[in-house]
Amino acid sequence: MKTLLTVALTTITTVFCLASSLYAGEINLFVAASLKEALNELSDTYARSHPGVTFRKNYGASGALAKQIENGAPADIFISANTEWMEYLKSKKLSDDKSIDTFAYNVLVFAGKPEMKVGKLEDLLKLEKIAIGSPKSVPAGEYAMAAFKKAGIDTGLEKKLVFAKDVRECLMYADRGEVDGAFVYMTDAQQAAKNAKILFTVPQEYYPRVTYPMALTVAGARNADAAAFFVLLRSAVAKGILRKHGFIVL
Amino acid sequence: MPEFTAAEYSAILLSLKVSMVATLLALPFGFLLAYLMTFYQFRGKVALDVLINLPLTLPPVVIGYLLLLLLGQQGFIGRHILQPLGIKVIFTWKAAVIATAVVGMPLLVRSIRIGMESIDLGLIHASRTLGAGPFDSMLTVVMPLALRGILAGSALMFGRGLGEFGATIIVAGNMPGVTQTIPLAIYDYAGSPSGDSMAKALCVVAVIISVAVLLCHEYLGRRMIRAD
Amino acid sequence: MELSVAVSKKFSTFNLTVDCTVSEQRVGVFGPSGSGKSTLVNLIAGLQSPDEGVIQLNGETLFDAQTSLAPEQRRIGIIFQHPHLFPHLSVRGNLLYGLKRCTPLDRRIDFDSLVAVLRLGPLLERGVNNLSGGEKQRVAIGRAVLSNPRLLLMDEPLSALDDRLRFRIIHHLKTVCETFKIPYLYISHSLLEIRLMTDTVLVFDHGRLVEQTSGEQLARDRMGHSPVGYINLLELSDMTERDDMCAYRWQGGELLLSASNRDTVNGLFELSSKDIILFKKHPEAVSARNLLHCAVLGLFESGEKIGVDLQAGSGRLIAEIVPTAVRELDIHVGSPLYAACKASAFRKLSDNQTNHKEQFS
Repeated sequence: MKTLLTVALTTITTVFCLASSLYAGEINLFVAASLKEALNELSDTYARSHPGVTFRKNYGASGALAKQIENGAPADIFISANTEWMEYLKSKKLSDDKSIDTFAYNVLVFAGKPEMKVGKLEDLLKLEKIAIGSPKSVPAGEYAMAAFKKAGIDTGLEKKLVFAKDVRECLMYADRGEVDGAFVYMTDAQQAAKNAKILFTVPQEYYPRVTYPMALTVAGARNADAAAFFVLLRSAVAKGILRKHGFIVL
Repeated sequence: MPEFTAAEYSAILLSLKVSMVATLLALPFGFLLAYLMTFYQFRGKVALDVLINLPLTLPPVVIGYLLLLLLGQQGFIGRHILQPLGIKVIFTWKAAVIATAVVGMPLLVRSIRIGMESIDLGLIHASRTLGAGPFDSMLTVVMPLALRGILAGSALMFGRGLGEFGATIIVAGNMPGVTQTIPLAIYDYAGSPSGDSMAKALCVVAVIISVAVLLCHEYLGRRMIRAD
Repeated sequence: MELSVAVSKKFSTFNLTVDCTVSEQRVGVFGPSGSGKSTLVNLIAGLQSPDEGVIQLNGETLFDAQTSLAPEQRRIGIIFQHPHLFPHLSVRGNLLYGLKRCTPLDRRIDFDSLVAVLRLGPLLERGVNNLSGGEKQRVAIGRAVLSNPRLLLMDEPLSALDDRLRFRIIHHLKTVCETFKIPYLYISHSLLEIRLMTDTVLVFDHGRLVEQTSGEQLARDRMGHSPVGYINLLELSDMTERDDMCAYRWQGGELLLSASNRDTVNGLFELSSKDIILFKKHPEAVSARNLLHCAVLGLFESGEKIGVDLQAGSGRLIAEIVPTAVRELDIHVGSPLYAACKASAFRKLSDNQTNHKEQFS
């Protein structure tokens, strides 16, 4: 009986130790979809100099990510594609407020079939189908809608809009040719497009500046590895990589 | 209960419209397929049976993707039939109807088959000796007697259509006012932190419609029995 | 009408081989269950196809190596064992189904006349699901007849009905076919029905045609082998009650039957050949209430018995006796005899509610 108890206790303790060692060296990233390639390069860079650290990356629409964090998904670092969703997290007291900073900026463009004769926003009314991220959760979509309203074409475009779940899906629609064009970031368009090319850049006065706020979550602030990685994200190395990928950094 | 905007009413109407049209469109095909499978023997019957029932076991997303490959710009039908005719199907209301029809077809065919299988062959023989050809017999004897199966299948298909998501989102996309049906609208709201209350409200609407459809089907089923 | 059938068809349990031609209007097909009778019906009607052969009706080829007319083109009606009425149509709807599909040229039969003959008037607007068995079969008969068929096939049409109804429906069947001059093929395993309905009989066994004869002849041939002997069919009428018995008028004179027949004024009765006792001389006193003076018309052998064909008044009876009795009583053609039978030996087959002029032969 005594031997049985000892064996049981030892097993349980070992398991717990192992479990906590599993948690050690793990960083959970919740990042806007448009930052995928840049963050992959950054995390690879960090992992090379910090073996034993593993990254769990979740790329998606910033609004959807914020909701997941709110519902308890484990996140250490959150980078959003607009300030709205960072503010949201802040209001829910899920962010480590003193870590909030700006990661990068971007520019909204319209990419589509090369033969399309569109050079400005008003030209869009001639088209049949236009893809944007769903404004309820995708910042790129929100920026696009703001631009439409400013240009006065929002009602005209009503039945032409195809909502995508994030900016990458948008690009995929444009690339496949199922839509005439899509509103994506400059960085996305440079990325993938086999069949879609940038037709015009949306003039900045039509929409608020694309800003990527970054922050540690409350849980992330307690994670030493996450905090260390966060430091890398603010460093010159990171800025260099971002510029390489087409982002605007100050 | 949050206030519904035009977008929500549009989603509800669109759901009803797409399901209704898909069911009506599928009915003649479903009826003929069920008739063929019930009353005829032919080579390849098993293969046809499997094909008809495939959408039941395939994930709807797979069906949507296959439809996209078939009907899209690079697809076989898309390139050789639709494009020359100038017909665009992907990301239109038509695609939503097609997706719903394909996904619901096995349910329709099954129900009608069950109805048809209970028809006494003697009745069909009798109608043939009374001068009715195969088509005539099908319309005047088989169809009326299979009516309960047809109605049950239609209701089932309509209900399934209201909830169709996977195939629809791939092949028709999420287009408010054009293809955004109730499930797509709920998905849209569910992805947004502030959208929960609206998503719930739309769920309630979906339940109410489904219950109404099922009650209607029950009532019609009872009226079918000639009680004299 | 002339029907010629020369076909063969293989089944797992037997092979059907037929080669015959019939030109009569009222033909019977007789045989035990499983002898291929129903298959023959299906082949003639076009519901099944023979493996090989030729079927011709009135000179038109219905089936051969090159052609096979579909059932709807053959204009051959079937009355099945089960009515197979369309449950979603009213009686009227059922009746009109075949008529509507008949070209105007072929429409000889008048709807109202048929409804009158089959007495379907009160049923016309009703649904078919709650009709009695007899009513359903009458509607089925009417429906088949109204399709103006060139030939009517009746596949055991009375088997599913109880005895009381059976012979009443026979009356309807006969009347309808005679009134509207429709030739028919009557299939049954009941010799009685065959005798009442047909002139020529095709006898089937294990898928093969074994003989072509008449119902009457068949009954005589079977007399010696049958537990019921030869069934004499008697049409009795004008019943009056007398001495606690029922007295009927018959072609051969007067017959006394048991009081249990009180409610039947006119009817069809059966009397077995086994229930007739023959006397050479008039018995002074006999318990049997019926004693008929007859003359022998003929004698025939059947199994181990001898059938005695008797003329009683203007009626005919057949009695069966053993050969020894024939020798002992020295019975030969022309011999005068007395035939006795008990009042209780008569069994009612059906009563005829209305005065009908038809004579069952």
